[in-house]
Amino acid sequence: MDEDLLRSTVDLAQKLGAEYAEARLHKIKTTGCLLRNGVPEPAMIGDAYGIGIRVICSGSLAFSATNDLSWDNIKVILEKAVKRAKASSSLLEYKIILSEERAINEDWRAEEKKSIENVGFEDLFEMLKNIEYQIKDGKAGVAFPNRLLVSTTLLEEKMYMNSNGARIRSRVPRLGFYSYVTTSYRGKTVTITIPSGYSQLGESGGWEVVDRLKIYEYVQKEAENLALVVKNDQKPPKETVDVVLGPDVSGIIAHESSGHPGEADRILGREAAQAGESYLKSDDIGLKIGSEEAYVSDDPTILHSNGFYLYDDEGVPARKRILIEAGVIREFLHNRSTAYEFGVSSNGASRSMSYDREPIIRMANTYIEPGDYSLEELLEDIKSGVYIKSFMEWNIDDKRFNQRYVGLEAYMIEKGEIKGMVRNPILEITTPKLWSSVDARGKEVEFVAATCGKGDPMQSAPVWTGGPDMRLRAIRLGAR
Amino acid sequence: MEIIELADLALREALKLGATDVSAICAKNNENQIRFSNNSITVTKNIKNLELFLYIAKDNKRMIGATSNPSAERIKIFASDLIKASEVISPSSEYTPLPKGEFSYPLHGIYDKKLAEDGVKLIDFAKEAVDAGIEAGATRVSGSLMTSEEEITIITSGDAKGKDKTTKILLNVRAFTNEETSGHGLSCAARIADFNPSEAGRVAGEYAKISINPHSWEEGIYDLVTMPTVTADIVQHIGSFSSAFTVDAGFSFLADKVDQKVGVDEFTLRDYGVVEGGLGGRGFDDEGAPTRENIIIEKGVLKGYLHNCTTARKFGKSSTGNAGIIEPHPWNLIVDPGMMSLDNIIKEVKKGILVTNNWYTRFQNMRTGEYSTIPRDATFLIENGKIKHPVSGLRISDSIPRQLNSILGISKDRRWIEWWEVSIPTLAPAMLIKDVTITKALQ
Repeated sequence: MDEDLLRSTVDLAQKLGAEYAEARLHKIKTTGCLLRNGVPEPAMIGDAYGIGIRVICSGSLAFSATNDLSWDNIKVILEKAVKRAKASSSLLEYKIILSEERAINEDWRAEEKKSIENVGFEDLFEMLKNIEYQIKDGKAGVAFPNRLLVSTTLLEEKMYMNSNGARIRSRVPRLGFYSYVTTSYRGKTVTITIPSGYSQLGESGGWEVVDRLKIYEYVQKEAENLALVVKNDQKPPKETVDVVLGPDVSGIIAHESSGHPGEADRILGREAAQAGESYLKSDDIGLKIGSEEAYVSDDPTILHSNGFYLYDDEGVPARKRILIEAGVIREFLHNRSTAYEFGVSSNGASRSMSYDREPIIRMANTYIEPGDYSLEELLEDIKSGVYIKSFMEWNIDDKRFNQRYVGLEAYMIEKGEIKGMVRNPILEITTPKLWSSVDARGKEVEFVAATCGKGDPMQSAPVWTGGPDMRLRAIRLGAR
Repeated sequence: MEIIELADLALREALKLGATDVSAICAKNNENQIRFSNNSITVTKNIKNLELFLYIAKDNKRMIGATSNPSAERIKIFASDLIKASEVISPSSEYTPLPKGEFSYPLHGIYDKKLAEDGVKLIDFAKEAVDAGIEAGATRVSGSLMTSEEEITIITSGDAKGKDKTTKILLNVRAFTNEETSGHGLSCAARIADFNPSEAGRVAGEYAKISINPHSWEEGIYDLVTMPTVTADIVQHIGSFSSAFTVDAGFSFLADKVDQKVGVDEFTLRDYGVVEGGLGGRGFDDEGAPTRENIIIEKGVLKGYLHNCTTARKFGKSSTGNAGIIEPHPWNLIVDPGMMSLDNIIKEVKKGILVTNNWYTRFQNMRTGEYSTIPRDATFLIENGKIKHPVSGLRISDSIPRQLNSILGISKDRRWIEWWEVSIPTLAPAMLIKDVTITKALQ
């Protein structure tokens, strides 16, 4: 990557009158394999490389991107960006000002033991064929007649420079797996994803990720459990019951009901026309939103995580962010612009997913902090309840207040013990009620990978969602 | 080099390296965007890209590549990388040769030079939308305004050779009141003459204003009036589930339903590669086959699926011109108009809900089409043929197959819809759907 090109770009932007400028060379190489019912679909190679530039002139922000890296072209798009920023004054009520941050000069890379660049299509297809062999005949007397298995690799390399003196170079490899299967029983067909909830298994790292994630064991275990889902027709209880949510469910809740509403750009209304706003207001730090047992954090620095990074795309060091602590809103996710408006330092949440996308506030790895209960201890004093271990359908309104999670693998709890399966229990609940109902958390946090959608044009960010088993008291569940 | 020369170079390189099938598509895009919130610009953007998409098959082994670095030198390396990668993968029993040309392609006909010029007054348009929203009763207006121009060319080993050029302008406006109610407006057009930012802003502002003081309501079964933005979201899923790939993979509620009644007589859904007013599509698909009109559902009967060559061979059909190398997909979906005015639709409703916008549609079971989605922005209770008052906090929980069979009315007026939540351009009417389950968070 041409460091001189970045320096020249930032210098020229300042000469043209920008009070701030940054430039990012961003390269993403991807491969993907898809096995449909045992048949290989065309394998895929992606190679995206270009430059993204932001300038601020008189408080107005302009972003330009191109994959033509000739200096003549960059000069033209830069001149136009400065011109556009200056021309925006007729509709500029709020100036963009960035928080002061330490200028970092750093090269960093995510840990990678077996280089992702040496992972061939034969490796990826072999992995899928092994999984196909494991699940195609089904377990517990139920087959999976349809199987769509996907494996992916990604190598993301960036070089970043800004007019405050930051210069950062990074390299993050990732590997992922996801699948869709169907299972049928007595004429009824159910579509399921493994992992559940349209999520993925994924980490940063090289080929060693396959072993670390124990992909084969995970899929085998999930398939055995999910094969039973289709046989079950037991309706969930209508009366108020205690509910224990499995890690997949507590993880998506952490992401949707704490992470998104805690994004400062949403709180300020900057995503209003698309991803929406937030039930939280600018002055809600310190607001009691849940019980003493509600703890949610977001941490980009978790080793091997899917959302791993050490510096964000504004050159700010990443760090753990405590979103909810003992039921109290503690921190929002910031970029340098929102940090300035809130009078704080950026906590390094600004990310861009490609050279042609502007950096915006994103979650990284959002999770419910562990407690000190085993699953048995969470269950033991529940007379009648439901354990929702995984989910499929979910959604939440654009203020992140009214949400729903529909169970996939779910069980009745009777006298402290897990009993027979229950069909699609629906947890449809407001955010304050949800967090206020938490009274205990398990010891073990589990993560799955996901892609989080936000921005316009859309940017899909790699994240982890995670949590432990989590107990909610006195909940009314719905049913289809 | 011109994009046709780049595509041609990729084709020749891949053939030289032993590929038996090659499709090379090269596209040049120029997008300009303004995003605004709280009546103020937050960012202006310009994104210029040149991309090459290359499909190759050799010895029944198939590869797809996409590169944003299509220099002459890089194209040679990229083609070589694809060929090398193909050597280690298994041949596919479903390999199908690309269609053989020469083909004649429908002209797109919708290229507005004015939209491609740098001088388009996007800031003025955004200001018009904001001002109209405020004038209509909102206190703050947010939105996104984007113009895009695409020049695209294809050349294949099947002697297909084509080019197309398109433009469009998309405005998405959301207006808010101090009482935190909101309204949504869109203006989506392929020509600047059809673009109306003031109307989008006014609609958003008026909806926000009349949504103040939402009333309490009971969850239960309601007749549902979907305004075009909501209809388009439902319809884009029907379009996606009509892809033969999705059907064959086992994840479509339209599986095994060809020639069967899947909806009411009044419901007809078509897809066009090229259509007057269409916001997407082109004259050729990714395999070089000409795009065309395809009737997906006619008078409630499923007529067929959308195919590329591979799925067509498997289903014993011809390509419908909807390739996607892996997955066929719709280009521009069009719901035939009904006979009713919106007023008459509302008059038909004894107890119902009118939804102007929605988001976050998720399926519990893709085979049964069971899903839920969340109405957002202005939403109203209808009683005895009249809009009674605004409501909020709803969720539509239903199945698309059931809804298709429960349509009581379709409006004669339709609108082109494409925005953040509806990615497939869709010409959609308002619809009245009987007995829809509406739920809410009871706790």
